[in-house]
Amino acid sequence: MKLSEGEIGKTYEVEKIDNTEQVTRRLEALGMTGHAGIKVLNKKEKGSMIIKVRGTRWAIGRRIADGITVREAQG
Amino acid sequence: MKNSSKQVLKVAFVGNPNCGKTTLFNAFTGANLKVANWPGVTVERVEGESDYKGQKLKLIDLPGIYSLTSYSIEEKVSRRCILEEGIDVIVNVVDASSLERNLYLTMQLLELRKPVVLALNMMDVVEERGMEIDMHRLPEMLGGIPVVPVSARKRSGLDVLLHAVVHHYEEGPKEGVVVYSRGLEAKIAKLTAAIEKKYGRQENDRWLAVKLLENDEEICGKYPLDLPEVLDRSYENDIIGGKYDYIEEVVEECLFGKEEKAAFTEKIDQVLTHRIWGIPVFLLIMALVFFLTFAVGDFLKGYFEEALDWFSALARGFLGEIGTADWLVSLVVDGIVAGVGGVLTFLPNIFILFLALAFLEDSGYMARVAYVMDSVMGRVGLSGKAFLPMLLGFGCTVPAVMATRSLESEKDRRRTILVTPFMSCSARLPIYVLFAGMFFPNASMVVAYSLYVLGLVVAIAVALIANRVAPTGEEHALLIELPEYKTPNARTVAVYVWNKVKDYLTKAGTTIFIASIILWFLLNYGMSGMVTDISQSFGAQIGHFLVPFLVPAGLGMWQIAVALISGLSAKEVVVSSFSVLFGISNINSAAGMSALSGILAASGFGPVNAYALMVFCLLYSPCMATVATIRRETHSWKWTLGMVAFQVLLAWAAAVVVFQVGSRIF
Repeated sequence: MKLSEGEIGKTYEVEKIDNTEQVTRRLEALGMTGHAGIKVLNKKEKGSMIIKVRGTRWAIGRRIADGITVREAQG
Repeated sequence: MKNSSKQVLKVAFVGNPNCGKTTLFNAFTGANLKVANWPGVTVERVEGESDYKGQKLKLIDLPGIYSLTSYSIEEKVSRRCILEEGIDVIVNVVDASSLERNLYLTMQLLELRKPVVLALNMMDVVEERGMEIDMHRLPEMLGGIPVVPVSARKRSGLDVLLHAVVHHYEEGPKEGVVVYSRGLEAKIAKLTAAIEKKYGRQENDRWLAVKLLENDEEICGKYPLDLPEVLDRSYENDIIGGKYDYIEEVVEECLFGKEEKAAFTEKIDQVLTHRIWGIPVFLLIMALVFFLTFAVGDFLKGYFEEALDWFSALARGFLGEIGTADWLVSLVVDGIVAGVGGVLTFLPNIFILFLALAFLEDSGYMARVAYVMDSVMGRVGLSGKAFLPMLLGFGCTVPAVMATRSLESEKDRRRTILVTPFMSCSARLPIYVLFAGMFFPNASMVVAYSLYVLGLVVAIAVALIANRVAPTGEEHALLIELPEYKTPNARTVAVYVWNKVKDYLTKAGTTIFIASIILWFLLNYGMSGMVTDISQSFGAQIGHFLVPFLVPAGLGMWQIAVALISGLSAKEVVVSSFSVLFGISNINSAAGMSALSGILAASGFGPVNAYALMVFCLLYSPCMATVATIRRETHSWKWTLGMVAFQVLLAWAAAVVVFQVGSRIF
């Protein structure tokens, strides 16, 4: 599923990042890799959301959220 | 390896955005650079000096970066400085309260094999949250570099840090610590060997090898290697993964009590970033800022007016008594004191405005505004991040234009620069206070607020049209860190407000002072020398020339034309010009206002004209300082002057519409 479809309060794991190369590299550098959990803290109808990755809060726009494929984290 | 001692040590402060580098830099150098609680406050490198027991240090504050790549302007500035300027020691400032993400940059710095000292900032936050950091294990796991807990705000640990900087420099650099997968390490070994063979022994060969594997543009260009079997694809993902794997180990072993107590921030965010209430709450907060600016500012300004009246009378009396020539008395009292003094009486409003903005900036709310406004900005083809410079524009357009550096794309930057001057900066405040106060005595605050909203609407509309006419066709992806909320720091707020007040006073003493003198001469001299009838002066002639253009906007008085031209130097000058033009000694006082509105009303200048004037002042060309800044940031006179012409035309058109429609209704 796309991260933009994620629900508030749930944690997800990154499967694949599919953005422009620049954005993808940046997201990886910020720690969105492998088994890092992404917790959805807040989200708007339009799709921009607030997430928490490796202890840091980020606001991301819809395009970025659309380009991140995730699966629900276990437990 | 032991480095020999050096006369001046070059020390760079490197770290993630918003981790406290500038606060630390200020503490060491006694500088008063701006700090605030949002990522991206520092956009330029700044140097300062300090010394530790006789060892001179040159400290360099750099913009915050998340990694040593070179995508944004900030990253380029910081990376170039670290790599090319012969930095002796890197002080890696780390926000201890978000160790995991901060250590990623640390891992990259260690690979450079330059001496690194880790300054563990915000330890107080860590303690508040009930977390603990193992101060023995952490340096061990970072290859033995010194790790010094500091509190930039409380100024503790500063001497220890400097000691570590000097001492560690003498010891020389340590090895990198991250070990990648066996496959990657084999490639790195091959690459370092190839680099040595082709380019000779390089101190940072491991870093170069890693960058080659990441397919880093700059390094691949500088150190091309013909090894297709090693460099068969970009291994960046694997390398980032390798670093984070190690960081996870570090955090596992060194950080205890990881249960997060960030509930406070999350609770506030539920209201401030609410999906429906977010924007209304933002507008409400801004309305509150302006209410305070007007109401409290008005309450205080009475004292300033009395002081000005007193000073003006004193100056006239004193100069008369010592037998100064009449023209000189007039220059000093009617020109300088009226012009400069008139502007100074608005200081209380300015003070309150910046106090409120300082609170907003230091609380952590700024970055949230980017999120809240993202959907609105998205519709005009910009990301929510572009709204931050616009918000700063409520204070002053010059730093706001510079803040656009945090935007990744050059097209987005220019578009943001184009609309930022429409935000009502503090220099336009005196114009609103004066004219709204004179012509809308019962609704002055509403009228002034309407201009702030109008500026915002015009900015967004212009961005929208620009996007329709020439879509940038780029991704406008918002990505911004949201810091924890905190109580604004008294010292930070004080420094911020003092800097702004100082700027205002400096401007009064320089730009406005000179503009007032020039204006006085233009009004008192004509073709025939000194004139007694002001309508024979040079000023009147210049003004008359422009009157026909201003008539449709309801601004067809030569004095207004002169005031608007003078206002190009700084917008406050519009107000000081009115003082000088109409010979009003204390323009911001009740008596001064009624005198001026009386004169204006006599020539048919009513509330609709006043509103048209305010709209014109809001939209027309920004002040000289802004124009110069825009030229510097865009590197193009053509673009800058085109922008100025566009804004003047727009202002004229808007004022015409206001006057033509308004005068038919009212």
